[in-house]
Amino acid sequence: MTTELTTGGKPFVHRHYAHCESGVTSALFRDKGVEISESLAFGIGSGIFFGHFPFIKWVGMPISTYRSRPGSLFAKVAKRLGGRFITKKYRKIGWSDRHVQTGMDDLRRVLKEGHIVGLTTNIYWLSYFPNRFRFQFNGHNIVVLRETENGFRISDPVLEHPVDCLTEDLERARFARGPLEPKGFMYYAETVPQNPDLRTACIEALKDSCNMMLRIPFPFVGIRGMRYLAKVTIKSPDTFGFQEACRRLATVVRMQEEVGTGGAGFRFMYAAFLQEAADLFGSSELAELSREMTAIGDIWREFAVVSARIVKKRGQAEETFAKAGGLMMICAGREEQLFRNLDRIARKLKA
Amino acid sequence: MKVNEVPQDITFYEGVKRACYALNEEGKYVVVPSTGWDAEDVVNSLAVDDLAVMLEETRNAVWAGLKSPLCYHMERRQMNPDILAKTAGIAVFRVKRHFRPEIFVKLNSSVLNRYAQALAVTVEELLTVPQSQGR
Repeated sequence: MTTELTTGGKPFVHRHYAHCESGVTSALFRDKGVEISESLAFGIGSGIFFGHFPFIKWVGMPISTYRSRPGSLFAKVAKRLGGRFITKKYRKIGWSDRHVQTGMDDLRRVLKEGHIVGLTTNIYWLSYFPNRFRFQFNGHNIVVLRETENGFRISDPVLEHPVDCLTEDLERARFARGPLEPKGFMYYAETVPQNPDLRTACIEALKDSCNMMLRIPFPFVGIRGMRYLAKVTIKSPDTFGFQEACRRLATVVRMQEEVGTGGAGFRFMYAAFLQEAADLFGSSELAELSREMTAIGDIWREFAVVSARIVKKRGQAEETFAKAGGLMMICAGREEQLFRNLDRIARKLKA
Repeated sequence: MKVNEVPQDITFYEGVKRACYALNEEGKYVVVPSTGWDAEDVVNSLAVDDLAVMLEETRNAVWAGLKSPLCYHMERRQMNPDILAKTAGIAVFRVKRHFRPEIFVKLNSSVLNRYAQALAVTVEELLTVPQSQGR
C-alpha cells in the first residue's frame, strides 16, 4: 500500500490488486469514499466466465478466456451500484489524428477537476511492464492520478507501487489499433451513492453469473465451453501434432494464470466474493459454495501444473493430454453443480 | 490455495510481484503478493521463446534478401499486418507488398515516415536490421 496525491491534493491509497478491471473499478469507488473490495467489484460485475473461441485468433492461437468481455465488468458494477459515471471514446475522423490530441486534453482537464481517471490501454506500449508480459493486448485498465513533468503518475492495479508513464507511451497505449481497440476509452465517477445497496446488486449479479455460465445456448461459452475445450485438449496431439498441441495448451494456461487473475483463472477471486456475500447475507450456504469454489480452483491449479509438465518434458513425462483434459472435465462437472446450487440459493435471497 | 501455498518460486517478474488470492488460517481470503510460479514460467517461456525464434528467422531472411526490414520491425513490435496497416493508415495489401525487399527500397519518404511513426522507430532504424541477435 502506498499513498499518493492526486491533482486535487487528495490522498489516494494505491492497493495491489490481482486483476486490472476490477481493481480500477474498486479504486474509482474508493476515491469517492465508498469502500468496495476488488473481489466484491469482480462479483458484482459478474466477472466470472469461461469461453474458448477456436475461430478468433490472438497471436495465432485461439482465444480462451476465464472472465467476461473486457469493459463489461465496469459497466455492470456502475449500473448495479448506481452513481454517475462519465465515459468517453474518441473516434478517428478522416486522416487526421486530431482525436488523439482531444483525448489527451480531455484527460488533463478531468484530472485538473480533481477526479482520478480510468483508462483502457494497450499493454505493449506501457513500457513500465516487464518485457515478457508486453503483448499486443488492448484490454488493460489503469488509473491516472495526476500529470507529472513529462508524463503521468499511474496507479496500475496489478503492480505493487504507482509508476510513472511518459506522455508519448500513454498516447500510443490509449490509441493503439487492432482487435478490441480502446479508442482512448476513459471513464471516471462524478458522484457515487455513499451507501450503495450491495445486497440487491449481489443478488442480481449472482443470477447473471449463473445465466452466463449455464444458459447461453452456444457451445463455446460457459460450462459447455469448458467441456468443449476439454475434449479438444484430449484429442489435440492427434489433430495438431505434439508441438502445436503444446502451444495451444500453454496459451490456455497463460490465460488462466498469467494475465492478472489472482490465481486459477479468477476462481479464487470469485470464491473471495462468495465469502463476502456470505457475510453480507449471513448465509451459511454461500459460505459452503465459497469453499467448493476454492476446491475447484485448486483443481484448475493442478491442471496448470500438469500442463506445464507436459510442455516442459516434451512428452517424456507420465502426464498426458488426456489427464489435463480430464482435470478440466472434472472442473466443468463441479462448476456446473456449483452454479446450479448458486442459482437456487440466489433466487431465495432477500434484498 | 492457502497463504503458505502461494508460489514464491522464482523472481521472473523482474522484481515485480503479482497479487494472489489465498486463504489465511481463519479461512478468510486475503491478497498475497507472489514472486512467481514455475508452471507459469514454463508456459510463458514457451510463448516468449517462440516469438524470439520467429524474429530471428525473419532477421536472417532480411539479410538473405528474402524479406524487407519492415517485416522484422513489425514482428519486433509483436504486430501483424492487420495491426500495422491500421496504425500506419496504409492498406493491408500494400503493407504485405512492402515486405518484398525490392519494393521496400523504392518507397518514398512519406510512406517510410508513416511506418516509422507507427512502429516507434526512426527512419534510419526502419531501413536496417541489427547485425546480431537480440532485441
